[in-house]
Amino acid sequence: MIYIVTAFHVEAKPLIEHFDLKKLYEPSKFQIFSGNDILLIESKEGIVKSSIATTFAMTKFGAGSKDIALNIGICGAVENAFSKGDIILCNKIINHHSKKAFYPDILIQHSMKEATLESFMHPVKKESLPVEIEGDIVDMESAGFFEAASIFLPLHNVHCIKIVYDFLDFEKINLVEIQNLIKQSIPHIESLINSLLKLNLEFCSNAPEIDNIPLLVNKLKNSLHLTAYMTNELESLLKDYIIRHKKLPDSIFEFFEVQINSKKEGKNYFDKLRKILLS
Amino acid sequence: MTSSEKSFLAKHFSHVYIEKAVLSHPVTIKILENLQNSQIVKIDNYKEVFCRARQNYSLQEKSKKLILAKKWGEFLYPGPSICHNFGYDNFFYTSNILNCIYSCEYCFLKGMYSSANVVIFVNIEDYFKEIDAVLKNKPLYLSVSYETDLLALEKIVPFSSAWIEYAASKQNLTIEIRTKSTNFQALENLKPQDNVILAWTLSPQEIIEKFEHGTPSLSSRLYAIKKATENGWKVRLCFDPILYIEDWKSIYEKFLKQVFGEINPDKILDISLGLFRIPKDYLKRMKKAFANEITSFPYEESQNIYTYPKELKEEMTNTILLKLREFVLPSKIFVI
Ligand code: SF4
Repeated sequence: MIYIVTAFHVEAKPLIEHFDLKKLYEPSKFQIFSGNDILLIESKEGIVKSSIATTFAMTKFGAGSKDIALNIGICGAVENAFSKGDIILCNKIINHHSKKAFYPDILIQHSMKEATLESFMHPVKKESLPVEIEGDIVDMESAGFFEAASIFLPLHNVHCIKIVYDFLDFEKINLVEIQNLIKQSIPHIESLINSLLKLNLEFCSNAPEIDNIPLLVNKLKNSLHLTAYMTNELESLLKDYIIRHKKLPDSIFEFFEVQINSKKEGKNYFDKLRKILLS
Repeated sequence: MTSSEKSFLAKHFSHVYIEKAVLSHPVTIKILENLQNSQIVKIDNYKEVFCRARQNYSLQEKSKKLILAKKWGEFLYPGPSICHNFGYDNFFYTSNILNCIYSCEYCFLKGMYSSANVVIFVNIEDYFKEIDAVLKNKPLYLSVSYETDLLALEKIVPFSSAWIEYAASKQNLTIEIRTKSTNFQALENLKPQDNVILAWTLSPQEIIEKFEHGTPSLSSRLYAIKKATENGWKVRLCFDPILYIEDWKSIYEKFLKQVFGEINPDKILDISLGLFRIPKDYLKRMKKAFANEITSFPYEESQNIYTYPKELKEEMTNTILLKLREFVLPSKIFVI
């Protein structure tokens, strides 16, 4: 699943249209859209709300380690080194208020610029910029999003993508322009998503037998009346065996059928199985 | 790695994380000269990046990042009992660099750290100061390439040369630089020092291909060793770790024949021989990050160290030792 968190509907709309997402009508405090293995949630403005929305989505929909989370939205640029519409993958995200810094793991190539982002609780104007600001760009959500998402997912799967909209000079917000800027960025975002999917698929995939271990262990636990300690040991022995031999031991299926009449008998069978798995 | 994998992964050191305190350190500046296309990210402390929760070590190995930092506190550590001290009393090791550009599947570093990224402590001058102070009271035998392969990173940061130049002026210091690199060229202009041991880890080509990812081939390592001995350097050969694999007997026999077909044993200072062994806790962590033939072997534990079961261990050691003695005097062989 790809989790996308945006602050406002105007940022979400082009993504909803492009990925053909449909509104979820389950009761929730948030507007949620889904489809094609993507779930988009609108958090509204601010670090805290972004963090709450991210946590809500990832808890409710059961985020797993191969899932991806993206925070997408507009930002203000501190430096004139950027231009309106520049699409930026953040390599450092700072919560201006707690001074906590977060670092996504950028393991793949991408077509965006990179920068440090600083998240504030309030809108920042050029004339009132704090002197100690470290970010090249600023927003009001990313730090909350990142802190929350990185509790659920590995760091290479959590990213903040920001599109430069203003230069902290508070020009009047133009909704159509924002939508267009997001729309223009979609090819870059899509290509990042594809690379992340490839990374997770190609390098994090287990042998199918390993995925079946919990099932096998459960069966053997019941048939051999194993204690919790034996069950744990069996799980690790099975995993090691499969890694070494690239398959299950042929004789393992015989152990599913045994009838146990005493604890001692169970232990004898377990020892036998152990010996096989150590070979 | 195939070219399609390469094409979507970011290059090694695509990002350099630099502690603000060392941004203008001369070593930092030198390193960045070679990494002009890398993204620079400023940090307060290397642990912010290196010790983050939820890093995926095995994925990070595909695209290692560089972290430049300043080392504080302790600079020298007593040599661990699972390493050989080669008869030296004051055996210490030091770590200018954490982690390695190579990726050996048996490497203990995979169980030691939660990150595959490489940390370089740029303030080498502070290491030297600390050692100066220790040398006033006692001689030192120092392993300087303990948590990395220093010579393999010489093009990024010339620390092997720096250590050799430092050692040149210190009579009661002996340093060992252990490597799998063939980058002897980088040292060729230096004068061989009596108190510097260049130690090459050698493995059969079959093992290199299967488990020592990214490292040079056996024949190119042998070529580098030959050059080093011809140039007058003290060279140690490390057959360590010896690994149990199918056909290990014939593979290691063929290997020793090849090594001593190329290298004159008289030109070698000594040889260390050790079977794969690893602290219990490290193996536990390695297993979580990696599942491979090495981490999944049913080892035996003794004093918190995992190694091969006693009988197998004895058989392997004796077989290899016997073969080795056909080429080398027993007095030159250190077994651990
Ligand atoms: S060369 Fe040495 S330090 Fe580097 S990965 Fe291999 S075993 Fe580890």
